[in-house]
Amino acid sequence: MPGICVVATVPDAAAIPSSLELVGGARALDASHGAGVSAVLMGTGPGLREATDELHRHGVATVYRCAHPLLTSGQVDAFLLATEQVLRAATPQVVLIRADTVGRELAPRLAVRLGAALVTECVELAAENGAIVARRQTYGGRALATLVVTRRPAVLSVKPHSLEVPEPAPVPGRVEDVAVSIDADTLPARVCEVLREEAEVGLDDAQVVVSGGRGVGGPEGFALLKELAAVLGGAVGASRPPADEGWVPISWQIGQTGKTVRPALYIAVAISGATQHVAGMSGSRTIVAINRDPNAPIFSVAHLGIVGDYRAIVPPLVARIKELKGP
Amino acid sequence: MDIIVCLKQVVDPELPQTEFAIEPATGRQVREGRPLVISTYDENALEVALQLKDRGGGKVTVLTLGPQAVISDAFRLALAMGADEMVVVDDPRGPDRLGGEKAAILAAAIRRIGRFDLVLTGCESADWTERVVAPVLAEALSAACVTFVSRVEAADGTLMVRRMADEGFHRVEVRLPAVLSVASDESNRPRLPKLKDILAAKRKPVHVWPVADMPAAPGDLAAGVEVREVVIPQRTTRCEFLEGESAEQAAALAQRLRDLKLL
Amino acid sequence: MIGVDFELTTEHRLIQQTVRDFATREVGPVAAELDRTSRFPRELIARAADLGLMGVMVPEAYGGSGLDTIAYLIAIEEIASACASTAVVISVNNSLICDPLLRHGSEDLKRRYLPGLATGRLLGCYCLTEPQAGSDAANVQTQARREGDHWVLTGTKIFVTNGVEADVCIVYARTDQEPGARGISAFVVEKEWPGVTVGKVEKKLGIRASSTCEIVLEQCRVPADHLLGERARGFRVALSTLDGGRLGIAAQAVGLARAALEISAAYAAQRHQFGRPIAEFQAVQWMLADMATRTDAARLLMHRAAVLRDRGRPYTKEAAMAKLFASETAMWAAHKAVQIHGGYGYIQDYPVERFFRDAKITEIYEGTSEIQRLVIARHVLGMH
Repeated sequence: MPGICVVATVPDAAAIPSSLELVGGARALDASHGAGVSAVLMGTGPGLREATDELHRHGVATVYRCAHPLLTSGQVDAFLLATEQVLRAATPQVVLIRADTVGRELAPRLAVRLGAALVTECVELAAENGAIVARRQTYGGRALATLVVTRRPAVLSVKPHSLEVPEPAPVPGRVEDVAVSIDADTLPARVCEVLREEAEVGLDDAQVVVSGGRGVGGPEGFALLKELAAVLGGAVGASRPPADEGWVPISWQIGQTGKTVRPALYIAVAISGATQHVAGMSGSRTIVAINRDPNAPIFSVAHLGIVGDYRAIVPPLVARIKELKGP
Repeated sequence: MDIIVCLKQVVDPELPQTEFAIEPATGRQVREGRPLVISTYDENALEVALQLKDRGGGKVTVLTLGPQAVISDAFRLALAMGADEMVVVDDPRGPDRLGGEKAAILAAAIRRIGRFDLVLTGCESADWTERVVAPVLAEALSAACVTFVSRVEAADGTLMVRRMADEGFHRVEVRLPAVLSVASDESNRPRLPKLKDILAAKRKPVHVWPVADMPAAPGDLAAGVEVREVVIPQRTTRCEFLEGESAEQAAALAQRLRDLKLL
Repeated sequence: MIGVDFELTTEHRLIQQTVRDFATREVGPVAAELDRTSRFPRELIARAADLGLMGVMVPEAYGGSGLDTIAYLIAIEEIASACASTAVVISVNNSLICDPLLRHGSEDLKRRYLPGLATGRLLGCYCLTEPQAGSDAANVQTQARREGDHWVLTGTKIFVTNGVEADVCIVYARTDQEPGARGISAFVVEKEWPGVTVGKVEKKLGIRASSTCEIVLEQCRVPADHLLGERARGFRVALSTLDGGRLGIAAQAVGLARAALEISAAYAAQRHQFGRPIAEFQAVQWMLADMATRTDAARLLMHRAAVLRDRGRPYTKEAAMAKLFASETAMWAAHKAVQIHGGYGYIQDYPVERFFRDAKITEIYEGTSEIQRLVIARHVLGMH
């Protein structure tokens, strides 16, 4: 199918690597057609040149580039205007968008404006006889749906951390700088302030995550988890109940709503393992579960399990790890 | 403020795994005999609407799409919590429709309800979790849109809301009319109704409109998208339990982590 | 016999769900701490009042929820399964204070006190028992002497639930020199009036978060219009009040029995010994079966009495049966629950020891099991 376009919103220079996940997916869809992969690259300005080079290096032939002071973090209405303008002119057959904070609002609205077919939160994409076969999780992660998209154009949003960043495959690239006109006063919704949560190690990139659930009992319990995370060089996360109760910041929440993480080590402390949460961490390489209830569903996804009270397990665990790591 | 809250009835997402089954013909969850509840985040949306009504007055209308015969007691609780009236679009195929189709029907119902300042939905449904209804509704109703709103901070003239974001949260100024999808937060835990309001809810108006009366929507996001199959993946991990007293278990775990080169 | 539909109405189901959510989310998490520190659940009672639980059967015109007896009993059972102390605070306010005010109070007394009691602004307590008047309730010695348009009360009341925190008391005193039940009158007394003091506060085996104390009356002047019901007919007020109170206690007991059953079933399913869950052992299964059967039977007896009450029919015998059976079931079930938990049942980390301690009082207050048996026997023998 001709014309696969990846939408990359890069409000700051650091954001391009995550968009490269989509490039892998786009290349796979394009493999039998060879019509080429393009990208819409949007941001305020700084980092766009480097991002363009990265896209070319990974196989994106044409980059439509928009720079505008309003293409900032979370500014969906601005990104929507810019994307719509570029795509109405470029008319790709398939549009891939990362389902992050911006993408999950952008994709459906763009689909309506372009009159496109829509599938959201895809975790797998493949081409099959001219159709696109997309897989997505349903029922809080309990079931996997396979959908076949035959209509064009089609907009597909992709769940973060589902596709792999591809190996570089440089192509001769071309850049088209597109001027977009966006007036702050006409944006129906406008981000006034971006508030970042404090975290020593960010959840998104952490190789180790120590996560707590309702069984932790309150905010004090998370101090123990922080210690464990610190000694392992990791980040602290939570399932939904601690976030809903206000024991931890909402940005620590891992799950269906909340973050998806794929660290090398995930330690689930006093988490029951409801599918809503598991959906956000089941891709972790090694999963350890500590829970008082031997029947907790978390043990059916864990590789290593300890049935016990985390208050009795974590302190000696921290001590032993310190010993093994040495001075 | 006049607020419309879209509530979806789903099979209880806390259902034990043994009760969870997929109907092979439709690719949808088997509903027969399973308890029905209001989708999790829709309850948070209702709470946000009720808080706005408590603060500034106005009306809260609850809107749902589904076969009328199966509308459960849960909706009476929504009225008991403080919603003023309910609209049911009677649609036997309701539970099977994808988000894009649903949003088109809901938009037609909202236009028929008339004026509104805000439409609220949950940030995602507890079953199909497409996260599509609010943004599509916003487009269909030419309204502003913000998704994953965890709280409404101010509501006089324009709205100031807090949206959950990857890096923390955004403070967003929104023009009315707007469609917001709501995420759960300590500030929007659904209230418990007063006992006497449970009785009084019986007397609140409930309008039932057949889906055939809703004007067909132009264009359909779901056209050209077929559900081929829905499968329940088999779990293949076998958990290895570390035994002994707490200190022994902790030591064993530390050693395993060292063996796996995770230290 | 009465024909009855064994299924709850939609309203009753929704009320049950709402109160259960309240009990699970707000009451349960603090119950152990309330018991450990013997702390009155002030914030929970305020929340309960918000929901309309402090005057469930009080008509809406007086600020109550205007619901029937079954709705009330459903509510008490749900609260009790999370915390028996909180349940008794609520049930005393409803059954022993609001109810007699509704049935026997003048319009003036009703308007003065019911709205506050139903909305949580006022808390009530019931002063009947004395050092020499327990099961022999008619042996009340507290004196009431007429002086102009006041009665002057002197005496000591003991074992008063909510006594420490209450604002409004229903007090029984002897206004006439007829012996026994015939000389007793009921009064509505405000605790802050001169001559009313809180005496000894008891330390108890169970229901520790509810206060139990002495109320001492020393020349307390009570306006004559605060007589509840007719002069010298106070004992009738007491008896009709106790019928309803017994149902409240039955509901508390059923809630306790149910909690004991549910926690034991969950524990048995996850406790492994000899290579399997102990729930697979017949001895444990039989205990759980008996707990379930007796709890259901207690609830059915209780609801049967409630239906009679709501129809305006006499229900003294049925209420006595319900209270007797439910309280003995609660104690028995709590005992079995500790046994099923083994050593862990004896440790404060687990709630069953608290159920055991809380359940005992249900066999004693608002009429001991022995008194209930006397009441029932008299009905059987036509001697009432």
